[in-house]
Amino acid sequence: MSDNTVKMSSIRRNEIILKVVIYIVSIIFSIMTLFPFVIMFANSFKSTVEVQQSTLALWSAHPFANLAKNWHVINSKDFHPFTGLLNSFIISTCSTILNVYFSSLTAYAITAYEWKLRDAFSGMIIAVMMIPTTVTTIGFYQMVYKLGLTNNLSMLIIPSIAAPMTVFFMRQYLQANLAMEIVQSARIDGAGEFRIFNQIVVPLMKPAIATQAIFAYVGSWNNLFMPLILLTDKTKKTLPVMVSLLNGDIYKTEYGAIYLGLFITVLPLIVVYAFLSKYIVEGVALGGVKS
Amino acid sequence: MRNKKIVDYAKFGYLFSIPFILSFCIFTLYPVIYTFVIGFTNLKGAGNTEWQFLPSVGKNLFQNFIDVLTSKTFHKAFRNTWIIWIINFIPQLGFALLFTAWFTDKRTKVKGTGLFKILFYMPNIITAATMAILFNKLFGYPKGAINDIIILLNPAKGAYNFNAHEWPVKLIIAFVQFFQWYGNTMVYLIAGVIGISPEVFEAAEIDGANRVQTFFKITIPCIRQIMLFTLVTSLIGGLNMFDIPQLYIGTDANNAGLTTNMYIRNQAFSGSYMYNRSAAASVILFIIIVALSSILFYILRDKDEAKLKKLKKQELRAAKKGF
Amino acid sequence: MKKVIASVLSVAMVAAIAAGCTTQPTDAPVSTTGDNGETDPVETETSADETEETTTEKQTATYGTGAEHINLWSFTNEIPNMVGQYIKQNPEFGEKYTVDCTIIATDGGAYQQALDAALVAGGDTAPDMYAAEAAFILKYSQGDMAKFASTYKDLGIDVDAKIKDADIAGYTIEVGSRDGEVVALGYQATGCAMIYSSSIALDVFGTDDPAEIEKIVGAGTGSWDTYLNEVAPKLKEKGYAAVSGAGDIWNACEKSADTPWIVNGELNIDPKRDAYLDIAKTLKDNGYSNDAAGWSEAWFADMKGEGPQKVFAFFGPAWLINYTLYPNCGGTQAGEGTYGDWRVCAPPVGFFWGGTWVLGNKDTDNKEGVAELIEWITLDTSETGLQYLWANDLMGNGAKDTVASATVMAKSNGTLDFCGGQDIFPAFIAGNSYASAKAMTQYDETINRYWTDAANQYAEGNLDRDAAVDAFKTNVADNLSF
Repeated sequence: MSDNTVKMSSIRRNEIILKVVIYIVSIIFSIMTLFPFVIMFANSFKSTVEVQQSTLALWSAHPFANLAKNWHVINSKDFHPFTGLLNSFIISTCSTILNVYFSSLTAYAITAYEWKLRDAFSGMIIAVMMIPTTVTTIGFYQMVYKLGLTNNLSMLIIPSIAAPMTVFFMRQYLQANLAMEIVQSARIDGAGEFRIFNQIVVPLMKPAIATQAIFAYVGSWNNLFMPLILLTDKTKKTLPVMVSLLNGDIYKTEYGAIYLGLFITVLPLIVVYAFLSKYIVEGVALGGVKS
Repeated sequence: MRNKKIVDYAKFGYLFSIPFILSFCIFTLYPVIYTFVIGFTNLKGAGNTEWQFLPSVGKNLFQNFIDVLTSKTFHKAFRNTWIIWIINFIPQLGFALLFTAWFTDKRTKVKGTGLFKILFYMPNIITAATMAILFNKLFGYPKGAINDIIILLNPAKGAYNFNAHEWPVKLIIAFVQFFQWYGNTMVYLIAGVIGISPEVFEAAEIDGANRVQTFFKITIPCIRQIMLFTLVTSLIGGLNMFDIPQLYIGTDANNAGLTTNMYIRNQAFSGSYMYNRSAAASVILFIIIVALSSILFYILRDKDEAKLKKLKKQELRAAKKGF
Repeated sequence: MKKVIASVLSVAMVAAIAAGCTTQPTDAPVSTTGDNGETDPVETETSADETEETTTEKQTATYGTGAEHINLWSFTNEIPNMVGQYIKQNPEFGEKYTVDCTIIATDGGAYQQALDAALVAGGDTAPDMYAAEAAFILKYSQGDMAKFASTYKDLGIDVDAKIKDADIAGYTIEVGSRDGEVVALGYQATGCAMIYSSSIALDVFGTDDPAEIEKIVGAGTGSWDTYLNEVAPKLKEKGYAAVSGAGDIWNACEKSADTPWIVNGELNIDPKRDAYLDIAKTLKDNGYSNDAAGWSEAWFADMKGEGPQKVFAFFGPAWLINYTLYPNCGGTQAGEGTYGDWRVCAPPVGFFWGGTWVLGNKDTDNKEGVAELIEWITLDTSETGLQYLWANDLMGNGAKDTVASATVMAKSNGTLDFCGGQDIFPAFIAGNSYASAKAMTQYDETINRYWTDAANQYAEGNLDRDAAVDAFKTNVADNLSF
């Protein structure tokens, strides 16, 4: 009897210790995580000189005057937050939707159907995934330039239909989570294949889609090099490209304004992330699960 | 009747893959083929568009490949890339697994896991460039946050020049890489665990499995596919590492942070515009990644599925014979 | 669910198509930019120091309304703004031409990559006129891409006579010449001076008179020996640093060399550049510097006089005073921070640092238009010429800068309170004449980085001298094939 209570209390003690450890480690990591955001935020309120003298300081002598000045610098230097936001939004949203939808479709084609070239095709996707991006950017730019399609936002959107990484992930996910019985029973009910995909498979893949959508969105939003050389018309520039222009006048870099620009750039991402993360965090109960 | 259905469905397999194939052929294939071809030519110099295959100018067809493979700098870059990737990946996967275990465990009622899950991914939404620059300031010499602390603790010793020495540079780059990606890996793993049926865990609990046992015997095998994914993508990402080392240190500190991808870029864009050598180096990198990933896939392949496939094939053959 | 996906998809498609459609006529004058210009004029009203016209002009990608199109490529809005100013002064130019500006930041080599592709591709959208920075001008004036540049003569500019009239700084001509013919000229002059602290000079040498200090530091001797062997120890005795970091001296060692890094396809280490290894080591071992890298927090702290040792001098062009020293001095009037304490004199070794050059495409359809703009920017010495406006802070830079034409400099006034009321221009004109560009190649940016790192490794004690040089040679051989 007493033995049992000792055991119970020791289990409870271990439980508490574990909890404390979890909280301590998590809080340390959270603080680490917030560090770059806090710095970016704080630096938006600093003058260039204050940033130069100490990038990591959290205080500023005249925070609001500096913020106003940084905002003015931004606006006088081809940085149009609303145009940039709109362009970034169009590119990221469209390419994310194309990316996750067509990747799911392709992954479904590989997982659910048996066709002759299937293995060759999925092998090819994995190989494509391994092509270093440095390699393709040069050829891609030359091609777009020759076609005269620079400054065309769709050149940054349509290629995301073929996103091998996402296909690969979706395939891994479907292999673990797709029960063919559900598909079969839908077929018996007379549903067409495309409808089965849209109405049954896509909802099933929600957690995977949400995960990939976040990564695709972030990747597209932060993409700098390609937009930088493709989008030369200032009405087409994305936010990161505009931030790069703040490096601006030779020998005179407005650091405070750059951090404000970076902060403006990252803000919408945080919103999008908060919106999508609920699918990851809450955990969407899956319909049919292979155990 | 049954056979006819199979043929029907196969059609959808092709149909649903068309968008991917089209987009790939238009936007990726041409640049890739272009790169492969250039690796065997004498194309160099900015603004130059004329090139010949190496044998037609009296050189070995593989000269560019030989140049790259015998280059000391490439060796160093290759070694660095592995070292930095490994130093970053072990803790990355370790912490991601740890947090996954903690945050998906229904028994330890930890509050605020939702918040932590969101927070931990956040470093991934800042561009690598910004991150590299902030860390560069953090480890600044002789003035910088870390050095300020060092001086405060031990005024006699003075500031330490982190960015002039080989190992500190590698460790810092690996840390930044870890810091940016552990949350991403964690999100993948959690998505995998969420996909596991809750009944499995309930059954394990009823069977009296403790937390550690459940995790290693149930959770990990169930998310093996996702772990394979994170391993492969991290490997690919790691071998392609560019932004963080480039902006943190570049070629300084005696190439301490030089990666293969930086080497490729330097061949093409640091003054001599050796597109041919750069292309050859990327082909080499490509082959290495393909080889490694194939090995990984082979080791971690789903054995049951492979068996099943074999069985099905046999069945199909038998059916055909019968027909 | 299906409905949601379908509607989202259709929105995406429409948006993608719309984005595609609106972008096609890139060469037509942009007239549909109303949406992004809306909020900005309101913002700019709060700024008193800039004229409204220039800020609103910045909202459009084009200047002028004429039928003839000139494509201008640049990496900042500096030159596009100049074009705007020119059209304001000469409206008839704007009636004849439309200047379409393409601005691409230099990040990650993006500007050069896009510019190269555009020059090679040619045709209507090719740049007619383009800018290049000191770091990569050699590639466009003498290196791989030089074949696309037109000589100023071919553009129809009477270049020899104009250069003589304007008395253009010699090094800018050397940089911009291909086989003896001018293809590029700049507007700034970035010849360097020694910018020293008068209070430290008084404390150590008993005088802060520029002429005296020049004698003490061995100005114009072309060697750092006096500065390092005689001046630095004296400064050290009283607890001052001779320089903030070794990098401050590197610029001078690099640009004052007599032979370039590459001679007849072989790597060549000029003695003056070779000496930098020992200079870096001496500075570190003797504590003559604060060991601060350029553009680091420690470097900026030294400008404020807050480093571990106060720093006697910085070496640089006028822009270093305007954009770096002045804002970082810790004050805005005499007595605050190091404001008013700085003086300028000729440096021991002459060199230049930075600058922008302007080139015309040999295949341009609008030679006259391009020539007119280039001439106004680089060779016009009148009081309505760009250089006069630039030197006297009439372009909205907020700083008086030195320009390439000595004729213009002579007309301009360079007194600065920041330098205790000294007229800084004479010292910089001297600096311009000491500067030389005979030892430059298109590979310099890369090779310099390898060399300074070798010096750093040697000074830190990680590598001995021979190993550092070997590491450098390996780097050059492996990355540049020399």
